Amino acid sequence: MAEIVRLLSSYNTAVVLLAATLLGAAGAVAGTFALLHKRSLVSDAIGHAALPGIAGGFLVALAFGFDGRNLAILLSGAALSGALATVMISWIASQTRLSEDTAIATALAVFFGLGAVLLSVVQSLQVSGQAGLDSFLLGTTAAISAREAGTIAVMALLVALVGLGLFKEFRLLTFDAAFAGAMGYPVRALDLGLMALLLLVVALGLKTVGLILIVAIVILPPAAARFWTDRLGAMTALAALFGAGAGAVGAGASAVLDDLPTGGAIVMTAGALLLISLVAAPRRGLVAQGVVAARFRLARRREARARSGQGLGQGLGQGSGQGTGEGRARP
Amino acid sequence: MTVLPLSALAAAARSVAVAALVTLLCTTVVGAQEPAEKPRVVATIAQIGEPLARIAGDALRVTSLMGPGVDPHLYRPTRSDILALTRADLIVWTGQTLESKMAGAIRRLGRRSAQVALIDHLPPERLLQDADNKRDPHLWMDVGLWRTALGAGVAALVRLAPDEADAIRARADAYFAELGALDAYVSQVMAGVPERRRVLITAHDAFAYFGRAYQIQVEGVQGTSTETEAGLKDIERLVRLIVERDLAAVFAETSVSDRNVTALIEGAAARGHDVVLGGKLFSDAMGEPGTYLGTYVGMLDHNGTTIARALGGAPPEGGFGAWRQGSEAAAPGAAPAGARSAGPPAGPSATPSAEAATQETPPF
Amino acid sequence: MVDGLTVTYGGKPALEDVSYTAPPGGLVAVVGPNGAGKSTFIKAVMGQVSATAGEIALFGKSARSNRSVVGYVPQRTSVDWDFPVSALDVVTMGLYRRIGWLWPVRAKHRRQAFGYLDRMGLADYADRQIGQLSGGQQQRVFLARALAQDADLYLMDEPLAGVDAKTERTIIGVLQDLKDEGRSVFVVHHDLRTVPEYFDHLMLLNTRLVAAGPMSETFTVANLQQTYGGHMAVLPGGATAVVD
Repeated sequence: MAEIVRLLSSYNTAVVLLAATLLGAAGAVAGTFALLHKRSLVSDAIGHAALPGIAGGFLVALAFGFDGRNLAILLSGAALSGALATVMISWIASQTRLSEDTAIATALAVFFGLGAVLLSVVQSLQVSGQAGLDSFLLGTTAAISAREAGTIAVMALLVALVGLGLFKEFRLLTFDAAFAGAMGYPVRALDLGLMALLLLVVALGLKTVGLILIVAIVILPPAAARFWTDRLGAMTALAALFGAGAGAVGAGASAVLDDLPTGGAIVMTAGALLLISLVAAPRRGLVAQGVVAARFRLARRREARARSGQGLGQGLGQGSGQGTGEGRARP
Repeated sequence: MTVLPLSALAAAARSVAVAALVTLLCTTVVGAQEPAEKPRVVATIAQIGEPLARIAGDALRVTSLMGPGVDPHLYRPTRSDILALTRADLIVWTGQTLESKMAGAIRRLGRRSAQVALIDHLPPERLLQDADNKRDPHLWMDVGLWRTALGAGVAALVRLAPDEADAIRARADAYFAELGALDAYVSQVMAGVPERRRVLITAHDAFAYFGRAYQIQVEGVQGTSTETEAGLKDIERLVRLIVERDLAAVFAETSVSDRNVTALIEGAAARGHDVVLGGKLFSDAMGEPGTYLGTYVGMLDHNGTTIARALGGAPPEGGFGAWRQGSEAAAPGAAPAGARSAGPPAGPSATPSAEAATQETPPF
Repeated sequence: MVDGLTVTYGGKPALEDVSYTAPPGGLVAVVGPNGAGKSTFIKAVMGQVSATAGEIALFGKSARSNRSVVGYVPQRTSVDWDFPVSALDVVTMGLYRRIGWLWPVRAKHRRQAFGYLDRMGLADYADRQIGQLSGGQQQRVFLARALAQDADLYLMDEPLAGVDAKTERTIIGVLQDLKDEGRSVFVVHHDLRTVPEYFDHLMLLNTRLVAAGPMSETFTVANLQQTYGGHMAVLPGGATAVVD
């Protein structure tokens, strides 16, 4: 145990633990609203759509004489192409006959394909410094620097502030946008605000868990939290807890166990949390529902037996109330 | 709000597809109908292509697919690459475990033309296994081993252009002699690193052969292939190693992100140990073509010199070139010993050791 | 209040040249066959749908700038019933504007919301998740929410559809209260039998405004026949039946 504490308090681990925990919490808060707004897949699309932005950002940086790996440029590119993807999704869904999930799939595929092409262009350019663009795909969680952790902390704080401050407005918007409009709220602006939060989380999470897995950080914790409560406030708080927990446990496990890539460990922890919630949550979990169903069946049987016992009177005696009653007495 | 009629879209898509197909066919056909000229050789990495190009001279056309800063573990062939491979008379590559994403294409195309996987032409006992029990493909890190491997490539060149066999072989001999000198140089400068500090930490496990050849412990943050992600435990272990062995430097690579290495430096700094970035090594890719660093000799020169200097050895200013001049001046005409040696090579090398004495870098 | 309002969907007019002024303290039934544009009318007044032509003025100002004083009760199906909110949470939403941006929901707001719930007879259900209520109860929750808005103008889209008799009576009672408080209430209503009984003004819509005015003057067989066209039959005894 002491060994584990020692392992966890060493510098690199501590930095990664902090960053992963905060990212998990912030992602879960933004993800709660995305999930309830039926936008889970949109966060996946944003993640994948970031790829052309990253590759494009690299090319643009080169064109202007910067170091192609300037993180600010790359992340701006990622956010920009992510934003474009959301615009494309909402345009397709509202202006054509295609359904929203078709729109999402289209945007995801088109942007990711474009990104792959751009990466190939970068590859053929015979310039050095392009190493590491691929790392955006799966992330390099174990190598988070103190500065990145600082940025993530600031972002998490921002998400927390906005989420708390506008909580009731977001709740209203996600539940009943029409009513929100009728009440006089600027629905489009609020919606954009929610999307912006999501974009922020995804952009910062790219470097950590990579764009393929970022959807897991954003969606799995709220999905797990949903099983435990029927109140939005509690659900958001629980989601943040789950997200933070997944980040912490994943990072910690990667520090203690051999050959465990950190990003993957975080996602697997989040997945495990979801699975446990699915099965074990009171009332909404599978076990609980199974118990309720079983109890119901049992009560009906007893009821049926009781009725058959009364109807036939004591004449038959001999335990007519057990076993045989069920077959006969079905009123 | 108008929806484009599906039929129109389908028709348009069809015509585009047909046009593309026709263009592709034409270019391939035209290419095949060019008058038979010099045989085409396509190498995957420049560590193969550049030496073979020098040896081939005018007899054959040798090109490399991957440029500087490109990671061959992750490299996906483009359409023009496939075209080049298709039109090649000979494909020379390293082996499955390096150009993993191209292996399928190369094998298929190599059935028509010839293909040589250099790793297959080395005696198995000279190969190293990596952590996953696969053959480590970073053969070029051991100059002697690479010379042997290139020999298989030269044999294939000769088969392709038998009329020029003598010229090719002569050039090969000269080149391999230079490689022999390079081997000796790297051995010598690496020997100058103090025993305690003989640990080479890089971004990924590309230097195992280097370590075996030049007697230094090697560690990489990522595994033998950059496809895997590093774990926190690996990073922590390496930080502890840096502190324990009092290492002066760790090294980044040109074809891999330096995030992991930077994390090591930060981690060590947090423990009060000042380790610096010793330099960027050429691990899987070489430098800009047309420059010295874009040659195989330049690559190993840079690596050996940089590593030795950063870890506390004392290689001469000007690296291999200066060393060669020095040893030739001292013993003109004497061919330096080709075999690698643990200590300084036979022959006077007064200048390097004198410099070593004066340039003893004090611990931080 | 509306003047020459015209709304088009994809080339076809849903509403054409509708003009009407709402009486303060009036219960107006909006009646017409399916597809007549009743829902469109409501949405246009709320500014949810943009008008192709014509003007909408609420209390002297244009629709867009004055949305905060319009109470809206939608048709029931437009909400995710699995959403994690309780009945009380939903009613509290009606208070959000009054609470203001960035301020949190406090206990006193919840008590206020509870009062509205109680008025609709749902005090016992305050903590139930919205999906666990029956159809009639859900309808009453949305009405309570509208009450919480304390608006001067209410627009309701088929609030009595599919509710049982008792719920219907409760809702009508609340509508009467609203009228007595001097508010204007527009209700899209389907059941011709009860229209004259529940409401005191009437708008007959069939893409165009067929007739509008106080109930006694407007609810005539002639007007109804014009509104419903061939869909209506007059039964012996003077009763009318609408066949859609």
